[in-house]
Amino acid sequence: MLRNRTIMITTIILAMALLAGCSGGSAAESKTVNKVQELVYATSKDINDMNPHLYGGSMPAQGMVYESLVENTQEGIKPLLAESWDISEDGRIYTFHLKKNVKFHDGEPFNADAVTRNIEAVQSNAAKHSWIKLSTKIKSVRAVSEYDVQLELTEPYYPALLELAMTRPYVFLSPKDFENGGTKDGVRGYNGTGPYKLAEHKTDQYAVFEANEHYWGGTPKVKKVTAKVLPAGETTFLALQKGEVNFIFTDDRGADSIDVEAMKQLADTGDYQIVTSEPMNTKLIVANSSKAGSPVQEKAVREALWYSIDRDTIREQIVQGTETTANTLFSTNVNYANVELKQRDYNLDTAGKLLEQAGWTLDAGTGIRSKSGHKLIMKLYYDANSSSQKTQAEFIQSTAKQIGISLELAGEESSSIAKRRASGDYDLLFNQTWGLAYDPQSTISAFTSEASYYHTTRDIIRAGELYKKIDEVMVSRDEAVRKSLYADILQIVHDEALFIPITNGRVTVVAPRSLNGISFKQTQFELPFEQMYFK
Amino acid sequence: MSRYILMRVLLSIPLLVIISFLTFVLYNLTPSNPAEFVLQAQGVPVITSGLIAETEKALGLDQPFFLRYLKWFISCLQLDFGSSYVTSQPVWSLLGPALLNTFKLTIVSITAIIAVSLLLGIICALRQGRMLDTSVRGIAFLMTSTPSYCLAALLIWYFSVKLDLLPTSGMDSYASYVLPASVITISYAGIYFRIIRSSIISNLNEDYVLYGRACGLSGYTITLHLLRNSLHTALSVFGMAIPVILGSTVVVENLFAWPGLGTLSVRAILSRDFPVIQAYVLVLAAAFVLFNTLSDIMSVMLNPKLRKDL
Repeated sequence: MLRNRTIMITTIILAMALLAGCSGGSAAESKTVNKVQELVYATSKDINDMNPHLYGGSMPAQGMVYESLVENTQEGIKPLLAESWDISEDGRIYTFHLKKNVKFHDGEPFNADAVTRNIEAVQSNAAKHSWIKLSTKIKSVRAVSEYDVQLELTEPYYPALLELAMTRPYVFLSPKDFENGGTKDGVRGYNGTGPYKLAEHKTDQYAVFEANEHYWGGTPKVKKVTAKVLPAGETTFLALQKGEVNFIFTDDRGADSIDVEAMKQLADTGDYQIVTSEPMNTKLIVANSSKAGSPVQEKAVREALWYSIDRDTIREQIVQGTETTANTLFSTNVNYANVELKQRDYNLDTAGKLLEQAGWTLDAGTGIRSKSGHKLIMKLYYDANSSSQKTQAEFIQSTAKQIGISLELAGEESSSIAKRRASGDYDLLFNQTWGLAYDPQSTISAFTSEASYYHTTRDIIRAGELYKKIDEVMVSRDEAVRKSLYADILQIVHDEALFIPITNGRVTVVAPRSLNGISFKQTQFELPFEQMYFK
Repeated sequence: MSRYILMRVLLSIPLLVIISFLTFVLYNLTPSNPAEFVLQAQGVPVITSGLIAETEKALGLDQPFFLRYLKWFISCLQLDFGSSYVTSQPVWSLLGPALLNTFKLTIVSITAIIAVSLLLGIICALRQGRMLDTSVRGIAFLMTSTPSYCLAALLIWYFSVKLDLLPTSGMDSYASYVLPASVITISYAGIYFRIIRSSIISNLNEDYVLYGRACGLSGYTITLHLLRNSLHTALSVFGMAIPVILGSTVVVENLFAWPGLGTLSVRAILSRDFPVIQAYVLVLAAAFVLFNTLSDIMSVMLNPKLRKDL
């Protein structure tokens, strides 16, 4: 009897403790957030191999440690490790005058020899860098003097400076870290010239970056940035509430993030702020012009599908305002993309009329249009790991059905989708542009690449003209000509409705309210931590 | 007896060979070219056919299947599982620390599971059918049927965020063990204590208990005998619990950002880092075979009835 009573009392005490825990409502006070002078950001993956001349490492982390010769900014290309540069008359020779008194994190001097050895190390692994056209156009690199380097190209290539400004591979590592005289077989250390140096790395746990006290641009005010590996979004949210983590940001694929509601909840506590970048890329549906026997080969069908997509609802309901509605392949903040193009807003009547005019008649029984015995059925592939793409695909399927287009949805691994894109085995698939730093030149170059959008573009009537203009624009040295060529290229693919835009992706940062100087680079892959400071 | 042990050990060798072969075959059965996986895992932005051919040659993927399997198997025997496609580090240098971390968590959890299961099993068996027995079984049912991720999120929220007693994640101190080990213990103790309870109850109906009581032996002495006889079942159950927990920590490790096998395997699977996946499968299979063999041998050693058939 006595035992039973003890058990009952214990049970009551436990229940009360639990109830006490549940009550009291508000999330835990983020005690530590405002006191700290360091940033701890959550990342779903380890920083991995920080070799800057390969592609396995985390780009935000590499962006803190390594630097390039020039920098891509909103105002265009600006000096970074190169103080200035000259371009020869024929546009083939670039002479860079390097900043003096720059040192790598290990104390090695940054000079023409280091630049030459780094570029040669990249070029010796050319096959891996073929995606970056500059790698196929570099003829030689040589040190002219201690602080002057000459880069010779096989032909003029206007995006050369843009591609030299990218996060990788043309960034600089101390030659002391080279393995077998290069970097393709691995590196011994990760000493760059950047504002932060990698101080500690525990695989799958965390990586600590400490401010470079000898940074040529002045020591960063935030002395320590830690990348903490938190694979689960739920834990990230709770760690932010507790203050163990105080900074998160999304990448272009929405990874490393917590959901929108959770972000708002954090901002409501008053301890955090949400900062969003300008559009960084375009999320779109790629329509394959060369898929034999598929309705997608017809321009009218592609155009009708474009009109049948309610992008505003997708923006408001599915991505909950974190992205903006996209009407063209590139947003207007992309270089050369501020071109007047016909807007195709959501309009089912127009979509229906386009199909009628093209001879696609509606079968009242099935609700699916047909023409010459062929039904208007197309397959839309989406990334099975992206919940937002699946929802968007289902929503697009439902509105397309209203005008007699039947979309069959297929979720696959992203690598499988990339393979379909390269082989041309698809009607429609979800994809996105390369991103602000890379566009328009990278996405447009990909129109001609068999590993990319060649199958998408190759069967349109003006394909020959399109490819010719792409070749011309890459070697053009006249700004006005380039503008006009890009306008023509964008006009052709827009008219043909090959790339059906949905939304523009942006980078979102959740940071302590006391953190100032939060800004963005011209890429969704890096953040300028060195410009941030606590009030 | 020694013949039996030798047979059990020898039998596990072909089993491991078959597992290693299946692991290798599965990798090669995938529809994509393995060289593509390598390049994808390395994050190469555009994969061209030239690059695929170059990678195939560099990694020896252009060699005949059986030759590749043989080479791989021989190097595995020397604990050389190749290099990770993603980090280029030797697989063992990734797997070793991860295995150790998971093993540490498993040992803490299994100790807690044994303590809780034995305690609850004995109490419930001795109070069979009473309120305490019914309540404990009810609560245990509720706990084991709660998904680990829900339980983990609740515990983190309450003990870490709300009460600020423990860290939310990571493996920085002894305190880091409390929450993940609690989730594993709650999930498994509810299952294992029932087995202990049933085993004790079935022993309670045995003649030797009746005889002991008739002889006037104390309850304590009878309980000790009961425990000794019920321990056979418990031993084989707990023996197999170690590899089961080793292989099922994926959810817990991911939620608690525990740098163990679960986290490593998920990362490897998502990035198609096949050398790591193969090594993970092999190590886990070896753990299952090893503990199964050990548990069988221990059962035979402890239970004279089983020895009769040998």
